[in-house]
This record gives sequence, C-alpha cells and structure tokens, in this order.
Amino acid sequence: MTDVDAFHLPGLTADDVVRWHVREYGDAEVRLRTPVLQPAAIGRIAERLRAARARHLAELPVAAVVDAIAATAARLADPADPHRRIADAALPAATGYSPPMARLILDRMLADWRADALDSLLRAEFGDPAVLDAFRPGPRPGTRVRALGPALAFHIFAGNVPGVAVAALIRSLLVKAATFGKSASGDPLLPALFARTLADVSPELGTCIAITYWAGGTTTLEAAALDAADAVVVYGGADTVRDVRARVPAETRLIVHGPRISFALIGREALTEDAADRTAALAARATALFDQQGCVSPHVLYVEQGGDVAPEDFAARVSAALERLRTELPRGRLTAAEAAVIHQVRGAAEFRTLDGQDVRIFAGPGTEHTVIYEADPTFTPSCLHRVVSVKPLLDLADAVERVRPYARYLQTVGIVGAGKRRDALAERFARAGASRITGLETMPWPPAAWHHDGQEPLRELIRWVDLED
Amino acid sequence: MLDREGQALRAELVGIFGRGVDEPLPDDEFDALARRIFAYQFDRNPPYAAYCRRRGQLPESVGHWTEIPAVPTAAFKEVRLVSGDARRAEAVFRTSGTTRGRERRGEHYILDLSLYHTALLPTFDAFLLPDGAELPIFSLIPPVDEMVDSSLAHMVSVVMDRLGARESGSFATVALGIDDAALDEALRGATARGTPVCLVGTSLAFLHWTDRLRARGARYRLAAGSRLMDTGGFKGRGREVGEEELRATYAELLGIPGDHVVNEYGMTEMCSQFYDNVLRDRVLRGTVRRRHKQGPPWVRTRVVDPETLEAVPRGEVGILRHYDLANLGSVMAVQTEDIGREVEGGFVLLGRAAGAPPRGCSIAMDLLLSAVEERGQ
Repeated sequence: MTDVDAFHLPGLTADDVVRWHVREYGDAEVRLRTPVLQPAAIGRIAERLRAARARHLAELPVAAVVDAIAATAARLADPADPHRRIADAALPAATGYSPPMARLILDRMLADWRADALDSLLRAEFGDPAVLDAFRPGPRPGTRVRALGPALAFHIFAGNVPGVAVAALIRSLLVKAATFGKSASGDPLLPALFARTLADVSPELGTCIAITYWAGGTTTLEAAALDAADAVVVYGGADTVRDVRARVPAETRLIVHGPRISFALIGREALTEDAADRTAALAARATALFDQQGCVSPHVLYVEQGGDVAPEDFAARVSAALERLRTELPRGRLTAAEAAVIHQVRGAAEFRTLDGQDVRIFAGPGTEHTVIYEADPTFTPSCLHRVVSVKPLLDLADAVERVRPYARYLQTVGIVGAGKRRDALAERFARAGASRITGLETMPWPPAAWHHDGQEPLRELIRWVDLED
Repeated sequence: MLDREGQALRAELVGIFGRGVDEPLPDDEFDALARRIFAYQFDRNPPYAAYCRRRGQLPESVGHWTEIPAVPTAAFKEVRLVSGDARRAEAVFRTSGTTRGRERRGEHYILDLSLYHTALLPTFDAFLLPDGAELPIFSLIPPVDEMVDSSLAHMVSVVMDRLGARESGSFATVALGIDDAALDEALRGATARGTPVCLVGTSLAFLHWTDRLRARGARYRLAAGSRLMDTGGFKGRGREVGEEELRATYAELLGIPGDHVVNEYGMTEMCSQFYDNVLRDRVLRGTVRRRHKQGPPWVRTRVVDPETLEAVPRGEVGILRHYDLANLGSVMAVQTEDIGREVEGGFVLLGRAAGAPPRGCSIAMDLLLSAVEERGQ
C-alpha cells in the first residue's frame, strides 16, 4: 500500500484544515491524503501565493522559470528520484492506467517540459520571450511591448490523462502567475507531485504554486478561489464549464478547455501490401494510447477503398495490432459500468450483422479491444477504452460531411497515405472545425508548442502593454 | 396479438401472474417455462435465433434457463426483436428520445397488452400498496395519450386506472411540464381531508418540482400513509443528486418518510418491473431490511462478470441480466448496462451506465450525441 500526500499547500496551518481526507484508489493499493479546507483558508492561500509571486516570481527572468521547470522535469525523469518513485508506484492506481501506460505517458509528457521544448513554446507564442521580462521592440516601429501574466491564476482540472494538468500549471508559471490548481479526481496526484518537486528544485518558486483536491462544485471553497483569481482556467465537460462560467466574476478572464474528439483518415498509399501492417500498427497505437480517452485519440478510422488492402481487411489488421499491444501497453482496469457499455456496443453491432448489414466485429478476449468494421460511413462516436470503428470511404474528402455535426468538438485529424492530396484535405478539415492535422504516428503526441484546441495557451493568459516611444 | 402456441403459454403465464408476487415460483417450474418460451421465441424471432445459433445455444441444447442467450438492450435499437408478427403488435414502446435520429431509439413490440398489464399490476400493488390501500395516485408524468411511446406513461396510466382511487390523474403535460398549481390544489385538498396519496414520477421531475417548492417556501404535510414512487436517475442530465438527498427532500417538503419512498427500476425492454423492498417490508414485516430491489417471481436476475459475462459469486458486483417471462412476445433474456450486486431476495442497483462521464479529455458517445442533439443539429 502506498500512502501519499496529494497536495502542495505552502504555508498551510492547522487552522486552515477542518480534517484530513483519505481517498483509496485501485484495490486500496494507493491512499491519497488531502486536507478538507476551511473556506476562509482559500483566501489565505491565495494571499500567500500573491505575496510569494511578488517576492519570487514577478521579477524572475522567464529563462530562470524555464530552467527551474526543466530541472523539475529532469528529476521526475530520473527513476531513482523519490517523487518519480511515488509516481511509478501510485499513478496507475490513481489514474486507472496500466503501469506501462502510465510510465509511457509520463515520460512523453516530461519531454515536453525540457528547456528546448519550453523555449520553442515561448518563441511560438511571443517570438521574443523576453517580452515577459521587460519592454521589447514590438511589431510596430516606435512601440515597445510587454506581456504580463495574471498575478493569480486558478485552474480547475478534469480528466485522467496525466500531464494535461501539469502542462497547464507550467504555462501559468511561464507567464509568471501565482498558480493555484484544483486537481481532478481522475488525475489527483501528478499535479501535486510536480509542485512538490518544483519546490525541491526552487523553494522560492515552490511558494508560488498551490495544489489540492476537493470535489468539483464544492461551491463554498470554489467561490473563494474564483473571487481571488485574476484568471480562471477550467477543464471539463459542458456541465462543469456552464457551472463555473456562472460563478466567475464578470471581470475575471476565463479560459475554457472542453472535451474534444479526433479521428483518422487512412489513404490508399498507406494501404499497399508493404505498408498496410505498419499503418494498422500505428492506428492501433493511436487508439490504445491513453486507453483512447485522450482528446487526441481517434473515435473512427476512415479507410479509403481501392488500395491493395481493403478496409475490412485493414480492420482485422488493426485488431491484430491491438492484440499485440496487450503486453506492451495493457489497457487499464474498467469499471463494471464501462465494461457493460462495451458489451452493449458489441451486441448492437452484432445485431446489425445479423440484420444483413455490412458489419464485422474484431474483438480481443474480454473487453480488451473492439474493432468494428462497418460499411455505413456515418461518424459513430466511440464509448472509448479501445473501441474503434473502421469505415470505408471512396474518397477521404467524403469524411468532411460525416464529421460536420461534431464540428465544435473536433480536434486532431490523423492523415496517412493521402499523398499529394494531403494539403487539400487539411484545408477542408480545417474549415470543418479541426484544430490540428498531423500524421498517424504523431497523432497521440502534440508538440509542446501546439495551438492547443486552436488556442494560444500562453498568450490567452497575458495582457499586452504598449510603450509608445 | 399472439399466435396459438403463444396463447397456450400466455394462459400459463396469466395463471402464474394471477397468484401474485407472494407465491414463489420454484426454480424447476421457472426453468421449464423459461425454456419453452425460449423455444417459442427461437422459432419466431429470426434475429434472436441467429444470435443464439452463433453462440451454439439452441432450444434442444439449452439444459437450464441460465444458458439462454441474453440480448443486450442496445439490440432493440438495431432490429425488431419481436417473437411473432410485428404488424400485429398492440403497442410499440420506445426508449426515451435523448437523441433524434442520429442514434436510433430502442423499440419494444408488445404483442399482447393485456398480458403486460397482468404482469405489472400485481407487482405495483405488492410494492406500493402492500397495505391494500386505495389511494389517489397523482402522476408527474404526462398522460399516456401524449406519450404513446413511453412504457412508463403507459404503466402509470394503467396503474391509476386499475389500482388508484377516483381522483387519480396526471398533473403534467409534455408541452408545459408539471402543473404546479393544480398539483398544489390536489395535495392541499387531500391533506385537508386526511386522505393519503401516492405520488409517482421520474426522479428528475421530483427534483425539479421540489426545487420549485423550496424556492417558493412551500411544504406539505401529506396524510400518514402517503407514499411516493420515483424512477430513473440523473446521470449526464446536468445535476447529480444522490437518492438519499432526494429522499431527505421528500421527508422535509412532503412529509413522506423514507420507508414510504419506493424507487422503481424498469426499462422499455422489459414487461416486468422491480421495486424497493422498503414499504412492503414496513407493512408486512414491521421492520425494514436494507433497501434493495425486488421483482415478481416470474423474473430472475443474474449478476454477470463485466469481462467474461459468467455469473459472479453471490454478492459480487457485475452487470445485471434479467430473465422476464412476461416478455413472451419479444425476448425473455435481456442484458442491461446496469450494475448491481445480488443480496438475499433481490439485488442492489449500483448504477446505470448511461450518461456516465468519460475519464479523459475525450467525450464518450452518449454525452456527445446528446450534446449534438441539444444544439438541434
């Protein structure tokens, strides 16, 4: 059993805490402790964060923030580091991923927090990152510009993909905001571990970040945090966003990251006898990573007809590739309800087959994975956990009409084997609502400097100041 | 309407239903009838027969009712699972329309409405009216002529008609929702006369109605013996309220104690229903066992492993499969997406999967479909 403190609250006093709360994860393999805070404590935490920022962060060069984050990432990448050991022991139970999956995700995320990756993010958004330190020459002659982050940013996290929350914390620190995060029940640990590691690397910066958990919607606590913050960043579904939006003071900047869906387009050039198995392996990997719960995970694989390998055959190959991934990247444990839904989806597909429709199910043992080949090209959202549809198209561009109802949810389109048609397809899917078009192999791993959901994660936090000389 | 062989089975079922829920149905009797119904359905329901053949389960090879293949409820959205001539169905019940068109609604063809009534009436009677009370039944569900697709509206209308006192009626319409003023008048009238009442509705309707009561400071002290049947949950409907919180609200705002609050668990795809044991326990035993679901003796429930679909040891959590003899005209064995655990005399319903939020930053199908539909696309 692993007992871990899943919070980082610098300066916490006994007066702040009503009592301690311990949540069990897995089969009680992991127990995470968090304080139940007094509503008044939230205001005190916010004040301490603001004061710490004024002393330690507001004047710190952005390059020094980058170095501290990179040093934190380096520690967490070290298998012998005590915080990394906690992560390895507790993340699988805390997030529901298998140990190899949790390790892989963490290691890939850590690569994004290295100095070179953070530099590329800063340059992508600001050109000259020193605008975060001082007035710098701007795009207009005679005007220098300065970028200022909020004094205090409050983040409400959602989901169980380790690293999503930490990426948001890092962005917040890069613009020199004191950063207060409420972690999600699905990823209750990594944000706190990151903050504590950062505090080891830089005790001063460690006082500028606070992380804890309470049940989302605990209005007494959230009200104080929402009131204290200059910017609020919220991750979550429509209900959460609507609820938070109604409670954020009108003058406070609100940044929203809702759920997204992705899909893949697999063209004839990737379906030659030589290429098809590798293409299927990449499609399987994109489906399996994050157990398909990532916003980057494909719900549907649209497969072009007329290649050497027909779409139905391709579906069988994806299934075989998912089967092979079972040892390398086992799927996490499902709740009974999640498994029940998979049985329903499979059963419904089977009855379409019995009804004479062109449907075939390729499934592993138990509920491990399900590939449903279906001639009907309608976009069918997945119940996730490695349940993916393979649908044939005469032309990849035909998918544009299919995804139209989901325009406001689209994120990544993974395109492979489209040859010269790729740019034209990119234009069409960009207009259809997608915010990222990439290959199948890179689909699960957006670069650190991406326009996350079509937004600018650093610039949306800051305000510009013009100095006209 | 059922064919001749169906009529023979129907006659036997009517005999069993007529004995009420107190008369146990021994397993060998249940088994013999279940396997005859399976054979009957196998012969008349081609998609179901094909499904069974793929599993190597044929009427001549099934040795016990537990081997009869269970159909996932989602299959009712894909094919007509009717054991007989669908054109002769007396009603078609459809699953609720959270989605229009993009996802098909499940359809349950009812070949014999009177058989359905024969099953639902004694069960409601046993769990809501175990004291033999004849009460006004006030419904928060629109009348059946406004919701012809709804098995729940149909059930409530039959119950009001056959088991309720004369003042029974619906206090809601599809267009306007609950008529708070009319309901208020009816409840005040009954309270003034000292007449206990039976309120029935969905949990969501009760939640919204009691929210409004609270907002305007209204509160009833319904006459002793008043009771309430709620049904359904709220997952994915924008608000999470625990059953216990709702029961506390009933006690506070209506004066109905927890042991007079009976949660019904039913589904479009089943002709029989399950109910909480509490009121029946209170009346017949004097003491109330832990709240759980009970059904009539002509329904058996198995809890199966979420991965293997094999029966789990008693008390372990799994997926609920129901074997409902009253489903003579469709499919007797249905596998739900509901989760539960077997207890003495019934099962504890632990959750209904529909609408459960995904864990990651993607969005799962039912939430996505309903979100897209809400936008009216």
